[in-house]
Amino acid sequence: MQTRVDPILAAVIHGALENIAVEMGHKLMRMSYSSIIRESEDFGTALTDATGRQLCECTMSTPLQSGPIPGYIAGILGELEKRGDKVQPGDVFMHNDPYGGASHGPDVGFAVPIFHKGELAGFSVTTAHHLDIGALTPGSCGIVDAVDTYAEGLQFKAIRVYDAGRKVEPVWQILRSNIRIADLVVGDMEAQIAAARIGAERYSALLEQYGLETVTGAYEDLLDYSERLMRDAISRIPDGRYNARTFIDGYLDDPDPALKELPIEVTLTVSGSDIHVDLTGTAPQTTNKPINMPLVGTVDCAVWLTLRSILLDSDVYGNIPQNSGLTRPITIHAPKGCLANPIFPAPVIARFCSGNAVADTVMKAIAPAVPKQVSAGIGNLRVMAFSGASGGKPWVHMEIMEGAYGGRAGKDGMDAVDTLYANTRNNPIEDIESHLPLRVLQYELREDVAGAGTWRGGIGSIRSFELLEDGAVSVEGDGQRFRPWGFLDGKDGSPAKVELARASGDVVNLPSKIPYRQLAKGDCITAYGPCGGGYGDPTKRDPKLVLDDVLDELITPETAQSDYAVVIAGGAVDEAATRRLRGEA
Amino acid sequence: MIALGVDVGGTFTDLILADLAKGAVTIHKVPSTPANPAEGVIAGIQGICEIAGIVPEAITAVFHGTTVGTNAMLVHDGAITSMITNKGFRDVLHIGRHQRPQHYSIMQDLPWQNRPLIHRRFRKTVEGRLDAQGAELVPLDEEAVAQAARELGEAGVEAVLIGFLFSYVNPAHERRAAEIVREILPDVFVTTSADVSPQFREFERFTTAAMSAFIGPKVRRYISNLSGELAKLGITGELRVMTSSGGLATPEMIAERPASTLLSGLVAGVRGGEWVGQHAGIDKLVTLDIGGTSADIGIIRDGRLTESDARSAQIAGFPVMLPMIDIHTIGAGGGSIAYLDQGKAFRVGPQSAGAVPGPAAYRRGGTVPTVTDANVVLGRLVPERFLGGRMSLDAEASARVIGELAEKLGRTPEETAEGVLTVLNSNMANAIRSRTVQKGIDPREFTLSGFGGGGPLQAAETAAMLGMTSVLIPPHPGITSAVGLLTADLEYHALRTAFAVKGELEISRLQALYDDMEAELGAIFERDKVPADRVRMLRQADLRYVGQGYELKIDVPDGPLSEESLETVWRAFHDRHRAEYGHAFESSPIEIVTVKVRGLGLVDKLSEPPVYAVSGEPTQVGSGRCVFRVDGNLQAFETPHIERTTLPVDVKYSGPAILLQTDTTTVVPPGWIYWADRYGNVRMTRDN
Repeated sequence: MQTRVDPILAAVIHGALENIAVEMGHKLMRMSYSSIIRESEDFGTALTDATGRQLCECTMSTPLQSGPIPGYIAGILGELEKRGDKVQPGDVFMHNDPYGGASHGPDVGFAVPIFHKGELAGFSVTTAHHLDIGALTPGSCGIVDAVDTYAEGLQFKAIRVYDAGRKVEPVWQILRSNIRIADLVVGDMEAQIAAARIGAERYSALLEQYGLETVTGAYEDLLDYSERLMRDAISRIPDGRYNARTFIDGYLDDPDPALKELPIEVTLTVSGSDIHVDLTGTAPQTTNKPINMPLVGTVDCAVWLTLRSILLDSDVYGNIPQNSGLTRPITIHAPKGCLANPIFPAPVIARFCSGNAVADTVMKAIAPAVPKQVSAGIGNLRVMAFSGASGGKPWVHMEIMEGAYGGRAGKDGMDAVDTLYANTRNNPIEDIESHLPLRVLQYELREDVAGAGTWRGGIGSIRSFELLEDGAVSVEGDGQRFRPWGFLDGKDGSPAKVELARASGDVVNLPSKIPYRQLAKGDCITAYGPCGGGYGDPTKRDPKLVLDDVLDELITPETAQSDYAVVIAGGAVDEAATRRLRGEA
Repeated sequence: MIALGVDVGGTFTDLILADLAKGAVTIHKVPSTPANPAEGVIAGIQGICEIAGIVPEAITAVFHGTTVGTNAMLVHDGAITSMITNKGFRDVLHIGRHQRPQHYSIMQDLPWQNRPLIHRRFRKTVEGRLDAQGAELVPLDEEAVAQAARELGEAGVEAVLIGFLFSYVNPAHERRAAEIVREILPDVFVTTSADVSPQFREFERFTTAAMSAFIGPKVRRYISNLSGELAKLGITGELRVMTSSGGLATPEMIAERPASTLLSGLVAGVRGGEWVGQHAGIDKLVTLDIGGTSADIGIIRDGRLTESDARSAQIAGFPVMLPMIDIHTIGAGGGSIAYLDQGKAFRVGPQSAGAVPGPAAYRRGGTVPTVTDANVVLGRLVPERFLGGRMSLDAEASARVIGELAEKLGRTPEETAEGVLTVLNSNMANAIRSRTVQKGIDPREFTLSGFGGGGPLQAAETAAMLGMTSVLIPPHPGITSAVGLLTADLEYHALRTAFAVKGELEISRLQALYDDMEAELGAIFERDKVPADRVRMLRQADLRYVGQGYELKIDVPDGPLSEESLETVWRAFHDRHRAEYGHAFESSPIEIVTVKVRGLGLVDKLSEPPVYAVSGEPTQVGSGRCVFRVDGNLQAFETPHIERTTLPVDVKYSGPAILLQTDTTTVVPPGWIYWADRYGNVRMTRDN
């Protein structure tokens, strides 16, 4: 096997690169102001080469943020070329164009170019989800009625915020006057730039120490290495076509049938060490509703993340560097004008749940080929934005509500957790109530709704918020109409729901997408998370595990009997009755 | 005053006996007895007393480092633990922060779901709720608490945690519930979350407290058993146990706060390194303690151990919100295995051959190349003189396994062996960078202290990778942890959540919080019979810019607080923020999140290391071919093997050299100058 750089030196350089990305993430998290970055960790950091190929990423960042970084750089370089413009030392670029590589508008990227001996050698990049980006209503999620990308907020296409080292004040003034809660958002942006500059400094030092050619060679080797691992894993899957179809809610309360119960279809063609992913069969784009997904920045990340999590599961393979090499064996096609490849200016800001449904559908397609490496269907997420003005000061709070995993070979699904391409953190209740006019009334697991299986699906959560002052909420979710899929005779899981209990006493069920809606003091909104699908025949579940679930009050004795054919009496398994019921006696 | 330090590790129990008046020191090492660690301790005490020629009764104090609590967490073997919490919040411990530890894994386990500290069936909820300011929204349902306690008692639980939201602002509900439970279940371990760690973030606080409850009964039993055994030996001196923050605590304190022992054993090593450095006149030190499977890194800045911030510490995958020394552990040691992975990348560790089968050189059936084998192939470990000649190494086996790896790599065996060390050292250098460069500290101003079995072998070359020019190897690198036990004071911590914003805060409220904490700690020291003139109170606070989620720890001046004294705090925070992150937000408001007091009760301890006064010529016991990388190329040197204990004080020699002693081998590469200082430390410097 030929390598460009001595494998020992390469190991040293790889360690140094990863260290740099981690340092950037560490500092960004600690410096930033809004809870969506510092608590939820909805940010990404990475270094790329001069063409945007990713060399390393921060282990703390969420995959949907670091994954698209190569696309941001490609978008910036493309935009500059169109303008006949060039990167100069001391520039800092701001970019969020969803039709130019960005994941969606609120995920703003800042790129600091790195020069070595007068030549552009790479970029140090941070991305982060910002609380507000000047869209039609407060917050940057739950903007579910934006009619085009212009309604989604400010669009930045390779905007210099520093020009050859000089701060471009007019741009910052535009930001301050167009973004709600500008102090927070601009503070986070400054933190992003500071962290990206540190990465640039460290990367320059590395180039000084080893020379561009050696460092380049080492990361080319690293890309080859990641590619080799992925190809090796793919070639163990039998050649063939694997197809699956799932559905998303869309807009369940909309009279237009073209906006609801929308199919997501994935066909994987495995041949040798290559996989082609085709999304033909997926619903047409929703031209005036923003649940379309950019092909670059969302769909590609969803596909890559799912395939690598299944085929090169880090729990099995250890820490494998995440870089562009991993994605070389994978090609993706989505017909122009479908949900997964919309045409500008179709809106995309609320693409989060559709993208995670793509990830879930990829898993469903490949499941029969690698049944021991997948989970049954996952429960999708929902994001809520609360807002208001407290004592004259506007506030916005975003909360990502967890889903759940399906059952797995030999293991139950993970309960109440972010799923697939999302991996953020919740906000501590004690943090929320200390800083916002909100009270959390409940945060618990749901009971008696788990997807039954030999290995049962993960259980969703209940989270309930009360408004202590008049305010508003927007919700961007999915997974309320269709159940997460059971696998190998496992039962389907349970859908999500959102309930609004008005201070006046009315209780209403809400659809999964709610544009900005005013709430009154005392109104209470409760999110019920979905439960993942079951894995394997429930009547094969070890009766001891069924008993555990009964004792833990996750299921009732009646469910133990009806779903699992296990008879529980007096806090113990009635073995004889269970055998009879299971037809084993 | 005769003090005994005894540190129980996984493999060995290390002991040091010091006559504090005479400065005489005896050291000893016996195998650990994991089933009942007290047995090894007692055997070790009998042994060391024999060597020192004293009777155990003469020992006036026993200082102890233990891994009982740590191991209970690592192997998940603790008490049947239960919890009483707020209605509506039964599953805070189970949901956690709803984040997966690994991004790219379907098959991973979430420790808090897969290995719960408290099963759901033992988590009871009761009415009662406070708001964020601590005001009561719903009164505590005392009858429900009593009912829960009765049910848990019937279920046979061994520990009960009371954990309510906002107890860090107002612990009244937790305290009242604990009272009720103690009355009903007098023999059960009861603790509250605010007693363990009164800080906001409910998942982390409840988890830390759950850990305390989970390991509590076991740690209590162990300490009480050990006290009994010591008494049987006739030792009436006080027992003091090292805590995760690097201080000592009384058995009563450990019984109340068992979670404070979670890093007991680990911390003692850094303490020992700090003490040695301090006497060598060094206040900027990186300690590198390398064993068979892992390396532990600690940073001493301005003479003080660095503490981890409240949000970074964890054990067995669970977050810990307690004062802890920042020790960075990586899977790199003498037994670390070198291999080409599935993608043909060259890796060293974290898999280790352990003690059995161990490195191929150990003749215990090891067949894969390890760091130790690489050291043998390069001539750095002398086979017939390993561990003072108590064990001989199989050089042929090392050559064989390294040779096999070399063939796969397409390199010579020596290039391969040197590559193993380069990758290992670079892993350690990266770990040190993460604790220095990444926090705005320039490691080049620091000295690297290498100890443990492997530290002295790797220290110089690791230092060189970081541009560090100064290395220190303590006299007894293998028992640095036991030494560390004899150098600490009683140390207790108190903290309160303050949420006070600059410009809006009431100085009198802050002052009252500090007064309250100082009174609390003062009462404990009084109970411990520490005279008032030996008590020190050090104030600190965790600060952040309003809106941030991570705090930085800043010292707060003594005496009455004033606008002026707070001004120094604000200033120090901006400076620290700039140093750590490379940026300060000078015009942003600052918030004091928690206020803290670190109370010290000074105890008699090792005042100075025994003086080392060797002179004359060092004893060279032989020489051998030793391979080093010089200016990018491998070169072989005929290298002297020298008895370390014969090095004369302050006489400088040039490397390369191999220094032999009973507990380890020190490698001095070419380009380094080395000498023994007046305390017997080996010092090395290098021209940069």
